[in-house]
Amino acid sequence: MKYLEMKHVKKQFDGLEVLKDISLSVEEGEVTAIIGPSGSGKSTLLRCATMLEEMDDGELYYLGEQAAKSENGRAVYQKPAVLKKMRQYYGLVFQNFNLFPHYSVLKNIIDAPIHVQRRKKDEVGEQAMKLLDQMGLSDKADAYPYQLSGGQQQRVSIARALAMNPKILFFDEPTSALDPELTGEILKVIQELAAMHMTMVIVTHEMEFARKVANHIIFMENGIILEEGTPDEVFSSQNARILSFLGKFKRD
Amino acid sequence: MMKKGLAGVLIMGSVMAALTGCTKKGTDSSSAHYANTSETKSSKSSETGTFTVGFDQDFPPMGFMGDDGEFTGFDLELAAETAKRMGLTIKYQPIAWDSKDMELKSGTIDCIWNGFTMNGREEGYAWSEPYMENDQVFVVREDSGISKISDLSGKSVEVQADSSAEAALKDKPEITSSFLSYQAVPDYLTAMMDLESGATDAIAMDNVVASYQIKAAKKDFVILDDPITAEEYAVGFAKDNTKLRDEVQKTLDEIAADGTAKKISEKWFDKDITTIGKGQGEN
Amino acid sequence: MNIDIGVLLSKLGSGMLTSFWIFCITLLLSIPLGLLITFGRMAHNAILRTITKIYISIMRGTPLMLQLMLVYFGPFYIFHVNISSTYRYTAVCIGFVLNYAAYFAEIYRSGIESMPIGQYEAAKVLGYSKAQTFFYIILPQVVKRILPTITNEVITLIKDTSLAFVIGVTEMFTNAKALASGMSSVMPYLGAGVFYYVFNFVVAFVMEKFEKKLSYYR
Repeated sequence: MKYLEMKHVKKQFDGLEVLKDISLSVEEGEVTAIIGPSGSGKSTLLRCATMLEEMDDGELYYLGEQAAKSENGRAVYQKPAVLKKMRQYYGLVFQNFNLFPHYSVLKNIIDAPIHVQRRKKDEVGEQAMKLLDQMGLSDKADAYPYQLSGGQQQRVSIARALAMNPKILFFDEPTSALDPELTGEILKVIQELAAMHMTMVIVTHEMEFARKVANHIIFMENGIILEEGTPDEVFSSQNARILSFLGKFKRD
Repeated sequence: MMKKGLAGVLIMGSVMAALTGCTKKGTDSSSAHYANTSETKSSKSSETGTFTVGFDQDFPPMGFMGDDGEFTGFDLELAAETAKRMGLTIKYQPIAWDSKDMELKSGTIDCIWNGFTMNGREEGYAWSEPYMENDQVFVVREDSGISKISDLSGKSVEVQADSSAEAALKDKPEITSSFLSYQAVPDYLTAMMDLESGATDAIAMDNVVASYQIKAAKKDFVILDDPITAEEYAVGFAKDNTKLRDEVQKTLDEIAADGTAKKISEKWFDKDITTIGKGQGEN
Repeated sequence: MNIDIGVLLSKLGSGMLTSFWIFCITLLLSIPLGLLITFGRMAHNAILRTITKIYISIMRGTPLMLQLMLVYFGPFYIFHVNISSTYRYTAVCIGFVLNYAAYFAEIYRSGIESMPIGQYEAAKVLGYSKAQTFFYIILPQVVKRILPTITNEVITLIKDTSLAFVIGVTEMFTNAKALASGMSSVMPYLGAGVFYYVFNFVVAFVMEKFEKKLSYYR
């Protein structure tokens, strides 16, 4: 089943067309990496996919359920109550972590499951400790975000998203705010999640990582998809723009 | 957020309702009682059972806070005696002098009884007959070498804002224009502190008050012989409250007739300076 | 003139009770009221927003003393409704609460607007409702941010209570003035100064405790 489907998405900001007609779909268990130069619209695409932005036009489906349809050239969304239910299908890991600074690490992870999903504290607590263990942070349960390194905070952020049992996990440049030495930790976690068949969509500029982990690459530029396919297909593309973009990275 | 706005208005409404239930708190230092207050504009005191005297509590010897912390003074004592004879409970209500007219008009006080000068204010109130004579005078330091009004030329002078001294001097620009500076201050204490410290050279104020300060507080002040104006103290009521005024007047006449007024006066001034029932004073 | 310290302390003390009572009622009511006003100020509805803006502007743009007189004498002069002498105590509450609520509203708003949008976005994606987001995520962080400014307002309030006399409510400073004229001495003023300082000291101490309590995170 297609876990995510977006059809003919259009989005503009102040007259500037950021997404010019994008369509994509993500299959269950797939790991999709969206790459491309800055200004290409990849972050906007992700924000539309997670409903942090509303599309101007287009269709949006989660697990086959329609969240938005296109009517007379405008995107029409479902009622808030319906959308709220659909938000449970996915989670998002932000570039800047966005942990809640006044909550301990543990509370950051268990609070939403308790108050939004209305699950029991004990059950959630157990899952949280397991997740922290997976992240290698079991000794940090009672620490506060400001006491952790960037890499550690991002791992907590991933645990927080996972605690909600999402079907799809989105990542918005998860390593961009981290020192190079710390990006490795995150990439390792994402690899592990991929091995567990977590469906993921990752906007990233880590080319090597995208190549290694993703089984589906989407290259965007100027609001359209220039090329998409397997890593091999995209990375050996003859498209001049892609070659020049990737060329910069090959030099690293 | 709109729902919150509506909820907000509702809560605000109930809070306001709760507040109006918030009745008097705090302490008035009179030894009097508080009665149920549904006074109307032309205070039917006899209905509510209280007689509320509005006064400036910084005005010894007429109305002020004594050493024991209770309100006292010549005017307040006379008022208490009056209330007693009228079968009413006396209530002393200190007010901000600048707001005296609003307090009186709106009925929160029944009268102003506070070394209240009639002259120049005749049209504004329903007055009792004058009960005491007073002058507006200049007060200076003993060692200042000022002995007559003309000596004040080139000196700094202060006066209480909104007082009859200020009003009297308004009609005498020939005097005030000769001053170095002429300043209105909120109360007499400030003015006297300034006089003592040398911040000012003279104060224009009531003779009755000045004499009391000099005698009781043993200040080294001197009152100039030439008064600014002569005037009279009377009790002021809201203009349409003639009923209460007449009742009070009747009672004052009784108090004077049986010698009580004289007794109170002698207590404060060592002599009888009241003029109740003794014919009109100078206007 | 003999200055009886006992009388001095007792009069200043009883006046202090009145000042303290004004202080408590004002805080108790204006702190939550301020939050409601902030909601109005930040509402989607443009009319509500504008009305609130005007209210805040008037409350902060005119002297508290004037507002007290308006609340107290207004019913009689404007609406021809009779007022009683004891209404002055209610009026003082209303005047202070309305005034301080406006100041608190702006402080809250500045705190809320300084919150990074990432907090809202994380909450949204996790599925928190608007109310949950505000009360669990946003408000606790805002409180920590605005606490020093709130402390300033509280300290100002203690001293503003002396304005109550403009409508004849005898609080501590009024009593100090009366004693000073009656005794022809400035001692009562010194006493008043001491009382205010002690009151402020206690408040500052309490506020500091709050700040410490919230310093468990940065």
